[in-house]
Amino acid sequence: MLEIKNLHVKTAEDENEILRGVDLTIPEGEVHAIMGPNGSGKSTLAYVIAGKEDYEVTEGDILWKGESLLEMAPEERAAAGLFLAFQYPVEIPGVATMTFLRTAVNALRKARGGEELDVAGFMRLAREKADALNVSQEMLKRPLNVGFSGGEKKRMEILQMALLEPSLCILDETDSGLDIDALRIVAEGVNALRGPERTICVITHYQRLLNYIVPDRVHVLSKGRIVESGGKELALELEKSGYAAYQDEAA
Amino acid sequence: MNYAVQSTETEAERALREHFDAIASELPGADDAAFAKLRSDAMARFAKLGLPHRRIEEWKYTDLKAAIKEAYPPAKDAAEPIDENDIYDVLGRGFDELLCYRIVVADGRLVPELSHIDGLGDRMEIRSLREAVADDDRRAWVVAELEGTLAPDNDPVVALNTALMSDGAVIRVAEGAEINRPIHVVFVTGATEPETVSLRNLIEVGVGARATILETYSTRRTPQVLRNSVTQVRVGAEARLAHIKLQNQAMPARDLATWMVRLHEGAQYRGFQFTIGSALSRNQIYLRFEEPGASAHLAGATMLWDEQHSDTTLYVDHAAPECTSRELFKYVLDDRARGVFQGKVSVKPGAQKTDGKQMAQGLLLGQFAEFDSKPELEIFADDVVCGHGSTSGQIDETQLFYLRARGLPEEVARAFLIQAFIGEALAEVENEEIREALRMMAAAWLSHSRA
Repeated sequence: MLEIKNLHVKTAEDENEILRGVDLTIPEGEVHAIMGPNGSGKSTLAYVIAGKEDYEVTEGDILWKGESLLEMAPEERAAAGLFLAFQYPVEIPGVATMTFLRTAVNALRKARGGEELDVAGFMRLAREKADALNVSQEMLKRPLNVGFSGGEKKRMEILQMALLEPSLCILDETDSGLDIDALRIVAEGVNALRGPERTICVITHYQRLLNYIVPDRVHVLSKGRIVESGGKELALELEKSGYAAYQDEAA
Repeated sequence: MNYAVQSTETEAERALREHFDAIASELPGADDAAFAKLRSDAMARFAKLGLPHRRIEEWKYTDLKAAIKEAYPPAKDAAEPIDENDIYDVLGRGFDELLCYRIVVADGRLVPELSHIDGLGDRMEIRSLREAVADDDRRAWVVAELEGTLAPDNDPVVALNTALMSDGAVIRVAEGAEINRPIHVVFVTGATEPETVSLRNLIEVGVGARATILETYSTRRTPQVLRNSVTQVRVGAEARLAHIKLQNQAMPARDLATWMVRLHEGAQYRGFQFTIGSALSRNQIYLRFEEPGASAHLAGATMLWDEQHSDTTLYVDHAAPECTSRELFKYVLDDRARGVFQGKVSVKPGAQKTDGKQMAQGLLLGQFAEFDSKPELEIFADDVVCGHGSTSGQIDETQLFYLRARGLPEEVARAFLIQAFIGEALAEVENEEIREALRMMAAAWLSHSRA
């Protein structure tokens, strides 16, 4: 279970709070969506869960399976099962994609007490997962994310998610910059990972993605707080009425 | 000897002069009047100039007068000769297993027992400078090459080298010959006492010929060495040379290295320098396009820690039209290390259609590390494309976070990013075995500097 309790967050250099008391619980194995207008704090929430250093938690806690994540380094959170699919995957020239993937897979396997894969074993696994996501061998030969289109970058994120076997996935605006075909491939990739062992939090501005990844619950984040929660039909209502009502309410 | 001595002569400068007086009669070419004059003229220039200091523009960041307090005596033959095991220890596995023609120069003299230069036939001549100077058929050529250097007369380091040079490699690749194996020239210290080593290499690649030449500068016994080496290169028309220098001398060695490269019509030259050793090093490259249509790729990777100081100073002279020059120099600087890059590209009148691009980048790992970069363009032709850039920064935090979020421990993620940074420069080395051996050295440096 992911439990976010009264989470207050500001940036290191600014006094203004971006998150102003977020309360959210996602039971294990469920898929929840967090929707909200631009500037509501969605990406901040994703980064804080993953452990980015630019933010300061002034109050509250984030618990995963009963353990606080806040004192953990990003790699320790990854070892604990967390995976953040970035809104803007980072280009890293000079780092070969396959070398990176193998190092990450084995670092996590080792940290979680599992067996490391040899080169051949890893290649087999990577090829199999890559084919399912339409990630070409040619993409795997390039430096990490360098020269990838928006859609290719997002598919690479989902490929990493599939390889790293997380138990908690945070998808930050994974739908942004995707055309309808790419959206379907990415959503299928995510759906393939659904299961009782995997908790998924989909952060999105638009309802569109949720047609493909149908959530168990939908939460609305506005001005740094969860202002409403409901079933999957809440997303459809938002699509019709927009976020205006919540923004006025929160103001 | 009679000549003018600068009024502010230091003890080290005086000692260097006295060394010359003491050994001049034993140096190669001493019995040849033209050769002896070349040396004594050079010594007279050095005596007048002294060691360069920071008030001389080209030496602004690297003050040899202040750094060299003591001049070690000239190299003598080692009491105990070095052997294959020593060479293995110096080179490491990657370079030791390199299939190549090899010559070893210990201290100031070539070691024939460790040199493998068989099976060359008439495709190539490799011999020691000492031997070439003693050869009546070669001496005139050597003297002519030495007289026509690219360095200006007021370069004190080259002048000192000309006066004191005791040996080196002479490599002449015959016209049209394709030498498939790299030629590896290994310079080590075999002596146990501090020494000043002065070496001169002469390389000539004949018309249409191809070769790869690797120079390694290392220390096996004493690390207290002042090494001054000069390599003169001439690449003939339509010839290709890949030229690599590796310097991994132990501290507190000092390494002064000058390359002087002349390129003829349509020649292709790729120069690469990998620097991880010595307390202080200065790499000078003088390169001149003599004739049209030639290209030069110069690149370097420098990785320093502790208080190491390394300076690369280039002078690329576009004296002919339609030539292309590329420079990419990268520095990884930890602790209090200091990296210096000075790159001057000069486009002479009439050198139209010159295409020149230069980039220097410093990655600062240490809080007190410093990178000084001074690119300089001087253009006297109107139809040219020239550009330069320079960056200096720390590890990209966004990239670091991305890698850590995927489970890479911080140290591993940092090492990835440092290797990626330096890897871009190493990619300039075309020979795969040499490139991989250099990558292994870079990786070893990372674990070493972190330990």
